Amino acid sequence: MPWSLYLALKQLFPSGRRLSFFTAISVAGVMLGVALLIVSVSVMGGFGREIRRMIIDTQGDVQVRSGAFIDNPEEIVATLADQPDVTGVTPFAEGVVMLQYDYKPAFPALQGIDVDRVNDVIPLNDYIRVGTLDDLDDDSVILSAQLARSLGVHYGDTVEVYSPLMLELMKNDEVMLPTELRVSGIFEIGHQALDSSVVLVTLRRMQELYGLGGGVHGFNLKLTPGSDPDRVARRLNGVLPDVAPGAFARSWMDANSDFLFVVQLEKNMIFFLLMFIIVVAAFSVMSSLLISVVRKTREIGLLGAMGGRARDVALCFCYQALVIGVGGTVLGVGLGMTVLHFRNDLIAGFTRLTGSEEALRRFYEFSNLPAYTSPGDLTLIVSMAIIVSALAGVIPAWRAAQLNPVEALRSE
Amino acid sequence: MISGDPVLTAKGLTKTFRSGERTLEVLRGIDLSVAPGESVSITGESGSGKSTLLHLLAGLDQPDAGEVSWAGAADTVAARRGRFLGMVFQSFYLMPELTALENVTMAARMIGPVSGAERERAAALLARVGLADRTDHVPAQLSGGERQRVAVARALMNRPQVLLADEPTGNLDERTGDAVVELLLSLCGETDTALVLVTHNPSHAAKTTRRVALHAGQLQPVT
Repeated sequence: MPWSLYLALKQLFPSGRRLSFFTAISVAGVMLGVALLIVSVSVMGGFGREIRRMIIDTQGDVQVRSGAFIDNPEEIVATLADQPDVTGVTPFAEGVVMLQYDYKPAFPALQGIDVDRVNDVIPLNDYIRVGTLDDLDDDSVILSAQLARSLGVHYGDTVEVYSPLMLELMKNDEVMLPTELRVSGIFEIGHQALDSSVVLVTLRRMQELYGLGGGVHGFNLKLTPGSDPDRVARRLNGVLPDVAPGAFARSWMDANSDFLFVVQLEKNMIFFLLMFIIVVAAFSVMSSLLISVVRKTREIGLLGAMGGRARDVALCFCYQALVIGVGGTVLGVGLGMTVLHFRNDLIAGFTRLTGSEEALRRFYEFSNLPAYTSPGDLTLIVSMAIIVSALAGVIPAWRAAQLNPVEALRSE
Repeated sequence: MISGDPVLTAKGLTKTFRSGERTLEVLRGIDLSVAPGESVSITGESGSGKSTLLHLLAGLDQPDAGEVSWAGAADTVAARRGRFLGMVFQSFYLMPELTALENVTMAARMIGPVSGAERERAAALLARVGLADRTDHVPAQLSGGERQRVAVARALMNRPQVLLADEPTGNLDERTGDAVVELLLSLCGETDTALVLVTHNPSHAAKTTRRVALHAGQLQPVT
């Protein structure tokens, strides 16, 4: 072991003492910064992953849409199902309706689904909390949980649906009674935006409400695991003009690019801001090492008198910063992972203490805090923490190397 | 036994310090030659340049004129210093984070890895200076005299050809100081190490084989 590293370790962990106070404080600073960064980035990553999963689960890997409605859906389903990497195709039609229960109106997005095919693409059964998908027929509707709660609707109740087609007919002085649909199920995806504004009916009912005849607005596609949705969408766009002029395919990433960009931006901003905690900790380390250079001026002079080169004296301080950085980072990773492991218990304890359990469930998208630590994020946090901490030793090292041994030995 | 080519030679050493517009010529053409195993004491008033001369001899500072050579070679760089020289200072300069044994082995560590044999040598040196039962004690647990004895052991760890001692008894009481000087002379005699002792104390200076005094920037023999 070079003497500079040996002395650095001895100055951090002096003989006769378990731990130097300076070492403990410096390592604690880095540890807290790293732990906080890991917890925050992992929670943001978990949110992002959940959101991505929900998008895929509700829209499929690729969506084919058209500006107008598509009137030959069966032909297109067959064409799409034949494409490489496509494992499932389901048509859909959608539009906004007015839904009323007990004189309380709502304006959800109505989705018409092909009950026989939808589970090939979208695992709706996983999200239906009351009733089953098998109960859905042309005279029934499945409401989202939040919409049902806000209207006070329960399983078996009857709701009234007014579509824009009815409004058009009313302009011709024709009166159309609303369509009465029985509530045959309630679903909950877990995302507030989806749970408050989506209602499911059969495709046939939707076509009737919007006067589409046999037409649909688009198709959701499921791909083989591991395939690239962007690549598949590009390939489909080469095929679609022949069977559905005006239709285009988009991957789920492309269709939600703005939203995903915001999610990623939030995560990056959190990372950037919390990184400053480690920078502050590194400045604290640098400050302590600079004080150490002043306090140990005569010892630095002695090292020169004993044959130590200025470069090795500088390395001694660099090693100290590096050891603090590595030690703090390792402990920070351990602390961060431990907090993540017990995050839901910690949150449950906190909400019980503050009485905010229901508020958390109602206003946040998830009742359990999701977390996902990607290897890339972890590698970035660990390497940046170590690099920033190591750089904290550069200025003290430079100052130590500049000391003239003679002046250092003479200093009081 | 004093014989052979000089182990330490200084020729025409001149050192000037500048402070603003003032110039102070501390050393003027100093010549000094130390034979292997010889002990030389340098006395002089405070501020006469004794420590400056010692630093030049150690290669820690560069003269404005003249040269220093170690064993005939004018190469007085850090890489050679660890093996060629040992130094003892007035303020001991022990590493506070290291035990007595670790302080002594630090000298060996400066020039290479420390082997088991070197650890044994360090322990033996500490025993020789009367600190066999204090090897695990850090400097804060040692008295001034004990710390200086550790410093002496450290200075001799690498079997230097020359030991430079800059007022090693300056911070010690008379009795302890006498003991340290006796130890220095005895150990250097045993190992045939040349000793250059800078001191204020005439009785300590009298114990060396040769005495010189630094006055007005020049060395004069003392009879």
